[in-house]
Formats: sequence, C-alpha cells, structure tokens
Amino acid sequence: MSIHILGIRHHGPGSARHVKEYLEKVKPDIVLVEGPPEADGILEWVNNDLLKPPVAILAYQPDAPQKAVFYPFAEFSPEWQAILYARRNNIPVRFMDLPMAHQFELKAAKEPKADAEEAPSLNNSLAPYIPDTHIVRRNPVAYLAGAAGFADEEKWWEHMFEYRQDPDAVFTAVAEGMQALRQDLHLPYDREEQLREAHMRKTIRQAEREMYTEIAVVCGAWHTPALLNMGKAKDDNELLKGLPKVKVATTWIPWTYNRLSYNSGYGAGINSPGWYEHNWRYPDDDGTRWMSRVARLFREQQKDISVAHVMEAVRLANALTGLRGLPKAGLEELNEATLSVLCNGEDILLQLIDQELIVSDKIGEVPTDIPRPPLQTDIEKLQKKLRLPQTADYKDYVLDLRKDTDLERSILLHRMEMLDIRWGHRYGPSGKGTFKEQWRLQWDPGFSIDIIEKGSWGNTVEEAASQYVQHQAKTATSLKEVCTLLETAIPAELHNAVEALVQQVNNLAAATGDVMQLMTVIPGLVQISRYGNVRKTDATLVDNIVAGMITRICISLPAACIGIADDAAAELLELIYNMNDALLILQDPELTTQWQQTISHIAGNDSSAPVIGGYATRLLADHRQLSGNDLVRVFSYAMSAATPPVTAAAWLEGFLKGSGTLLLVDNDLWTVVYNWMHQLEEDAFKQLLPLLRRTFSGFTKAERRKLGEKAKGGISGTTGVSQQTMENIDAIRALRGVPVVLQMLGVK
Amino acid sequence: MSNVLRQHAEQLFLEELEELKKQDSEKRPYNWVLSPQSVVTYLMGGTLKNGFEIQPKYIGNRRLIEIAVATLTTDRALLLYGLPGTAKSWVSEHLAAAISGDSTMIVQGTAGTGEEAIRYGWNYARLLAEGPSEKALVETPVMRGMQTGKIVRIEELTRISADVQDTLITILSEKTLPVPELNTAVMAQKGFNIIATANNRDKGVNDLSSALKRRFNTVILPVPDSMEEEIDIVRRRVESYEKVMDLPAEKPALEEIRRIVTIFRELRNGVTADGKTKIKVPSGTLSTAEAISVVNNGLAMAAYFGDGQLKAADLAAGIIGAVLKDPVQDKLVWLEYLETVVKTREDWKDIYRACRDL
Repeated sequence: MSIHILGIRHHGPGSARHVKEYLEKVKPDIVLVEGPPEADGILEWVNNDLLKPPVAILAYQPDAPQKAVFYPFAEFSPEWQAILYARRNNIPVRFMDLPMAHQFELKAAKEPKADAEEAPSLNNSLAPYIPDTHIVRRNPVAYLAGAAGFADEEKWWEHMFEYRQDPDAVFTAVAEGMQALRQDLHLPYDREEQLREAHMRKTIRQAEREMYTEIAVVCGAWHTPALLNMGKAKDDNELLKGLPKVKVATTWIPWTYNRLSYNSGYGAGINSPGWYEHNWRYPDDDGTRWMSRVARLFREQQKDISVAHVMEAVRLANALTGLRGLPKAGLEELNEATLSVLCNGEDILLQLIDQELIVSDKIGEVPTDIPRPPLQTDIEKLQKKLRLPQTADYKDYVLDLRKDTDLERSILLHRMEMLDIRWGHRYGPSGKGTFKEQWRLQWDPGFSIDIIEKGSWGNTVEEAASQYVQHQAKTATSLKEVCTLLETAIPAELHNAVEALVQQVNNLAAATGDVMQLMTVIPGLVQISRYGNVRKTDATLVDNIVAGMITRICISLPAACIGIADDAAAELLELIYNMNDALLILQDPELTTQWQQTISHIAGNDSSAPVIGGYATRLLADHRQLSGNDLVRVFSYAMSAATPPVTAAAWLEGFLKGSGTLLLVDNDLWTVVYNWMHQLEEDAFKQLLPLLRRTFSGFTKAERRKLGEKAKGGISGTTGVSQQTMENIDAIRALRGVPVVLQMLGVK
Repeated sequence: MSNVLRQHAEQLFLEELEELKKQDSEKRPYNWVLSPQSVVTYLMGGTLKNGFEIQPKYIGNRRLIEIAVATLTTDRALLLYGLPGTAKSWVSEHLAAAISGDSTMIVQGTAGTGEEAIRYGWNYARLLAEGPSEKALVETPVMRGMQTGKIVRIEELTRISADVQDTLITILSEKTLPVPELNTAVMAQKGFNIIATANNRDKGVNDLSSALKRRFNTVILPVPDSMEEEIDIVRRRVESYEKVMDLPAEKPALEEIRRIVTIFRELRNGVTADGKTKIKVPSGTLSTAEAISVVNNGLAMAAYFGDGQLKAADLAAGIIGAVLKDPVQDKLVWLEYLETVVKTREDWKDIYRACRDL
C-alpha cells in the first residue's frame, strides 16, 4: 500500500499531463483532490458530456449568496484530469480541503466588520475569498527561481515543470524543492493553512482506514511536504475540533477563459489560458503550430502573412530561446517573434492575439438540470420581500418614492433595468414632481437565462448591477453614453458605479477634443447637481466634474466657433443656449465669470460664426457685461454697411435669438434696436429690410403684433409694462398677498 | 585626450570591448567579435566575472535588445523603428561596434540618396578611359560590409525613395550584390547584416514596400517606461554634455530634471503622473532626447544670461518650444494643462508663473 503525493500548479498544463501519465501508470484505487468536500456530491457530473470545461464549482452560503467561492477548472487543470481519471475508471474521488463550511466562518471571524458593510468592493464580488489556487503564495518560489537565475518565478516554474516533456521524478523534485523552502524560510504561522493541511491529512488517513491501497493525492505544490510528513492523527483532530460552521451549497456554473485570466480581476488566475490549452493539446510543438494559428488569425483580419513569415518567426523565437539559454520557446519568445516579424513592431495586433489566442474567449457549458445560481435566489428573495410577484400578465404600479417600500421597489426595478433584464418598463410622464414613478411589470421565463448570464457579475442584484455598469462604463467610448448610464445609476443607488461613472465622464471629458460633445451633456449633469432628487443621492460627486468640464468648454469654445458651416453653427448656437441656461441654474460665481469671459471672447472675435457672435453679444448684454453706449457701438459695428448682408443678417438673427418677448419687456434691448433703426439712412434701411423681416419672421404672430404696437409708441414704448407697475403700487393691498405667497413657497 | 568632438563607439568604449572579448566564453557566430550574450551585456551594462564594470549604453527593456541581437544572428535584417529621440541610431551604432568592432559603415538616408550610394558607383574618369573594370568601381559601405562580413548601418531608411530602397531586396534575400556591367557579383561573407533605423512620426516618408518589409524584423524602441528610468537617462546625458561644453552653471538639481520629465511624460501619456486625471496630448513627440535638450538649453541660459543656477524661468521657454509644435491645437492643449494641472500643484507655482509670463 502506498500514498502518492502529486504536487502541482493549479491550471498548469504540464502538471496536468504529468498527473494524467502518473495516474495511468500507478493505477490508484482512490483519488484525493484539493478542493471543498461539500462539492463531493456534484463530482458525479464530471465525465458527463454536457459538462464542458471551463466550468467552476460555486460554493456559497444559501442565506448570504455574496459570500461565495469559485473553484474554476479548465481542461488542462491537473485537478480536472485527476477527477476525470477517477470517474472514467470508476474509482472513488474526494475533495480533501478544509470544508468551506468552516472556511467561510473563519474568514468572517477574521474580518468582523467587512460583512456588516453594505457596499461590496470589487474584490469580493468576483472572487470573494480566494482559496489557495495558486502554486503557493508567490514569494517563496521566487527564492528557487532566483537561485536558478530567473527574475520571474512564473517563468521559472513554466520552464522547469510545465514545458518539461519527461515526467520522471518530477513530483519528487517538486516535493523536495518545497520541503527545502518550507524548512528554510520560517514563514509566519498561518492558522488557516495549518487547518487546511490538517484536514487534508485527516482525509488521507480516512482513506487508509477504508483499506484503499493505492492512494493518489493531488494538491498544490506548496502543501506536499505537509502531506508527506503525516504526523500524529491526534494532533490534527485536536486542531480541527470545534470549528465554527455555516451551511454551504455548491453547484457547477459555466466559466470562461477570460475569467480564468488575471485581467478579469480573479485574483488567483493565470495569464494565458488559451496558450496553456495549446500547450496541453500539443506538448511537442516547437512554436510552428502556434505561429500557424497566429498567422491564420491575422489572415482572417485581412493581414497578409506568408509562410515565409511564419518560418522566420519560428526561427527568431528559437534564436531568442537560445540566446536566453532556455530549452524550449515559451510564450514570451513566441510573442516577441510575432511582434518583430509579423506585426512590424506594432503591438496593436498583438492585443488581438492576446484576446483571441492567448486568453481566448472559450466558454464552458453546464447541464440544465443543475441547481440554480445565487443571483436568481437573490432576485426571488427581493421580489417576495417587496411584494412584486412574477406575473405572466402585466401589472401597473405607481410608486411614491417618499415611502420606504416604494423607494426600495424603484431601486430594484432600476437595478434590473441596468442589468438589461427588462422586467419593468417605466411609462408615462413622471409629473412635475420627482417623487413619483409609474412602472409596468411583466415577467418572462426567458429572464432566467439573462440572470444566469448576469450572475457572473455578482451574486446579488446590487453587486451584479454595480459591476455590470462599471464594466459598461469602462468600455463606453462616448460621453453621452456614460452620462446616460449615470442618469440611470443614480436612481438605482449604485454608489460604486456612480463613482466609476463620474470618473469615466471626467476621463472622457478630458480626452475629447469635441467641445460640442461636452456641451451636450452639461445641462443634464447640471440638473443632477443642482436639484438632485428625492433620494439622498450622489449628486455632490457630480458637482466636482461639472466645474472641470465647464472650464474645459470655456477654454476650447472660442476656437470651436471659428470657421464652421451654417448647419454646425446653428447646432452650436442651440448648445450655447442650453449651456447658458445651465450656468444660470448653477449660480456659481466663479464659473459664471469664466463663462462671461468666454462669451465676451467669442463676441469680440470677428472670425466667430456671425450667428454665434450675435448671440454671444446678446448674452453679454443679458449678463450686464455690455450696456449703454458700448452695446450700441458693438451693435452698430456689426450691422454696419461694410458687413456683407448675409453676415449681418446672421448676426442679427443670433442677437435676437428667442427674444421676441424679451424685446417687449426689456427696454434696454428695445432701445438699442430702436435707436439703431431710427438713425438708419433711407437707402441703408431699404437694404436691411429683408434681413430684418427674416429675423422677425422667427417670432410668433402675437409677438410680432405687440412689437409693432410698441414700435408705434416710439422710444419710451407705450406698452412699457414695467414702468406702469412701478408707479401705482398699493403697499397695503400688496401686504395682504404676502402670507399666501409664503404659504405657496412652503415657508410658514 | 583626443580633440575629436565625438568619437566612434568602438574607440570610446575600446576598453570595455577588449575586456568583454577576453571574458567571453560563449559561442561566437562567424565573424562576430563578441558572442550574442556579450553583445547584450555591452549594451545593457553589467559586471563581468572579474569585476569589470560595463556601463549601460541603452537604458530600457533588456528584451528589446535581446530581440535585436537574436535577429542579427538569423538571416533577417534589423529595423529599429520609433519616435525621434528614442536612441535608435545610438543603439544601432553600439550594436555594430559590439558585433563587428566597426560602426563606421553607414549610409545616411535622405530623399537624395541614390542607388549608387547603396550598391556601387563609378569613377567616371576611369570608366571613360578604361571602360568598366573593377578599378573603376566605387564601393559603398554596403558592398564593403558584404565583402568583409560586417554590420552595415542605414540611417533613416524611410527617407530614401522607394525605388532605391528596393535595391536592398536582392542584397537581403540572396545575400549577393550583382554587378552586371562586369558580369560578376559580390557574395556576402558570413557576419554581414544590415541595421536600419526609421522614425514613425514624420509624414511624407516612403513606407517600405511589403517585399522589403518582409526582409526586416522590426523592433520598436519605446519612450522610457518609468519616470525614474527617464530621469536617469536625462541626468546621464545632461552631465556628459556639461563636460563637453564646459558650462560654468551649477549642476542641475535633480528636482528640476524631475519636473521636466514629469511634464513631458504627462503630456506624452495623456494622464497625470498619479494616474488620476486625463489630459490631452499635443502633436509633438516630447521624446527623452527633447527633455535632455530642454535641460541643456536651460543650463546654457542660466550660465550665460542668468545667475548660474537653473531656475524655472530658464526652462520655461524650452518647455513651451518643445510642446507647441502646432500653434493652434497645441496651444489649447498646453493652456489646459497649465491651468488644470500645473496651477494646482503647490510647489510648481514658479514654473506656472514662468510659463504664464511668456
């Protein structure tokens, strides 16, 4: 009877190959694998044709699904190969790690506060508690790598073990290396690790007691010494006694290679799942097959790659391998050769290889009759709590956001909407107030697929929505897109996401050279920042970026007004109009000064588009930056005879934009136009008349009629409403109205 | 001490090359002075077994130099590509010096470089007097490199017109240079190869034909990776310039260099050093070489017109000159940077004012 301890690196193709060959050679009668024993029950699915790796075991607490751990497996994971071997040969296979039931509790005890907080961090949503899925904590192995002259321990491990063809004694070597490390390093005592290893030993003893004679144990390399040196059963049992426990459920979920890789935020991932798979399939490849795949990918992208290119690339990779004194070309050498030979040094195409080949977008499959995922559980829980049942027919709700339940309902619905699960549709006007929302809800059984899909973003609705929005924010390229997301994320109360979105708005705003894009989004942002809404939201966050964006606009706007076509000018005019409104709403003295300087710059520049120049002048007058004789001077200058009629007309159009009523009420403006008109020579008047008609044709009929009446009255303006009211004020009568006005304003 | 303004690399670093040769135990390709490993050491610097210190010539990614050297051991030629001021010619000179012990076989590519500068020319007096003969032939560096099995450098390959570039195809693929007039051909000796440099920023250059491109492995020399690396490069180069020019100014404070490098990096990368704020990128390259010349320029200003101490005001003009390559677009970018980034930094007030005043 003997125990075979196989120390491996998780997701190492070479390790997987060695494990497979080794098991086939020694023919064990039981296989023990590092993993959560709670999942023993679902191991029967392995070797089922419908369970296709990459897949992961998801272990979670049914009552708190955000506490979850994923154990991913790829085809080239040594654990997967070990389990597969056991299932194919019909021998028992067991997980031997410390049960998650204990691990969850131990973690919770370690960070007592963390669970109380509501906001989930990015970290614990994707891989809440990362089990020791890596070879070992990184540092110890670095000593061995350093001794062998490698700067990077991963590289060393790959060249030492993963690319090795000959499996002889490899496991003995690994065990000895780790033994030496653990002896000499004096790492600090880690209770969790002690517990885990004790439990592994316990499982091995159990197997021995059950009279298995050839026991194969597959575990992370780091643990091998602890399992070779079994110690006393009593000590381990002592250690494992009385550990706290929680309920744990496990299930299989589909996994993706992208998720296996580091850049998806999964802490214990590998860089290059696609490359590992290639290595697993074709261990003898000297780079030729890989390069052919690269070449094929490039050809699909319409880039011409000849066979000679492939030859040269393989040759360069091998020359590099020789120069570096390595036995076999690794991914680095192949990538560098690709870069130099196929890409002409441009690494943009290399990113393509990274996505398509090195990481690859492979996704696993799970049989449909496997238990449901946590996000679904969470949604059902919330629906029950908020009394929003799933109905096949639609049902309407009017939510009053001042009530707690309705507010929570609205938040849930907004979040589901953000997850693209179209359960609720908002319809109808929300009225003048911001506290009412109308929704129509209708459940579609097809949503469960969306839920499983979105489940990869998080285990609760809040988490998933937050992560998903942040992901969208990262990939969004237009400012408008992000601002739309922001407007929805605020009512969905996704604080993290709002922060990320604000950051993204800021970044895009800084990078964009397009002032118009910036100006388009400003009014919406100002609305959020000035009024917020009924909820106590993150509006203050928005404040900070608005100021920065306005500054940017102020700097670039004058240049943007120069040399543009009529259509563009009209569009820009509209934007300036809204922008001015937004600034008036904002009432920030510093920004207003900045804005005034900008428009004064535009107004003063002869090469600005005339319609905009005119409007800018009007705005200056509105802001009281230009009045009296100065205004008259500027006005006459713009309308002088030397100016081509078309330009003058456009200028006037801008100057009088939307001001039909304004002309009636604002006597200053009226005086300027009136006086100017008055002093025109007859010839000049005739020439200008068509332009004036054109401008005034934009006003409504009633406005035009009143303007005519006012003009009849001459300079003082007979219908000068403001003057009349100033004269006959009955103070006593006015006082009577005050209480009513105060009541209307809500002041008591 | 020689009075030559600038010596060839193989003379300047003669001692290092000799020492490397003595210590070299690896296999040398035919006609190479050093083994590939030693060539990499020569460029990247290091300490030899006997404790001899090799100065780094290229500060940056070792892997790039490894790719370059590995390329030269295969039968492909090497194309160093990159922004102006990223040490392309510098690397090519040192590679040639280390591999062939001779960095002088060089063709400077210009729009006027003709075929006779790359293949061979004729001594017309002789040609007329004696007819075509070996004696009437004027050799080019390329031809000499082929005969002696050495590295030939071609600077600014993309400036040479396309039809002239293509004369390299036969040389690179068949390693022969036919001379049809004499009915002979020059066969390249082992060890011959070409290092070409080209910059990817200029417009109106002649892109390589794909047939020629295929004969080159391309290595792009990037702008320095980290702030510290760049500061190091600028400091080393500025100090060596001071020595040559005998400037009376005081040594530049590391602080000033750091600020210049920060400004250049931030504008080049489009993000502030703390990674928090995105900024627009101006049209100029803002290479390390430009940072070096801004500091040199500042030093000269300080020495001859200032009080001998490098101040923000001495640097401001240089910085603005380097950034504003396009008077309209870059000005906006620069103003925005000045107002949103420089202004907010407490200890940068002097540089802000100096730049505003100009």
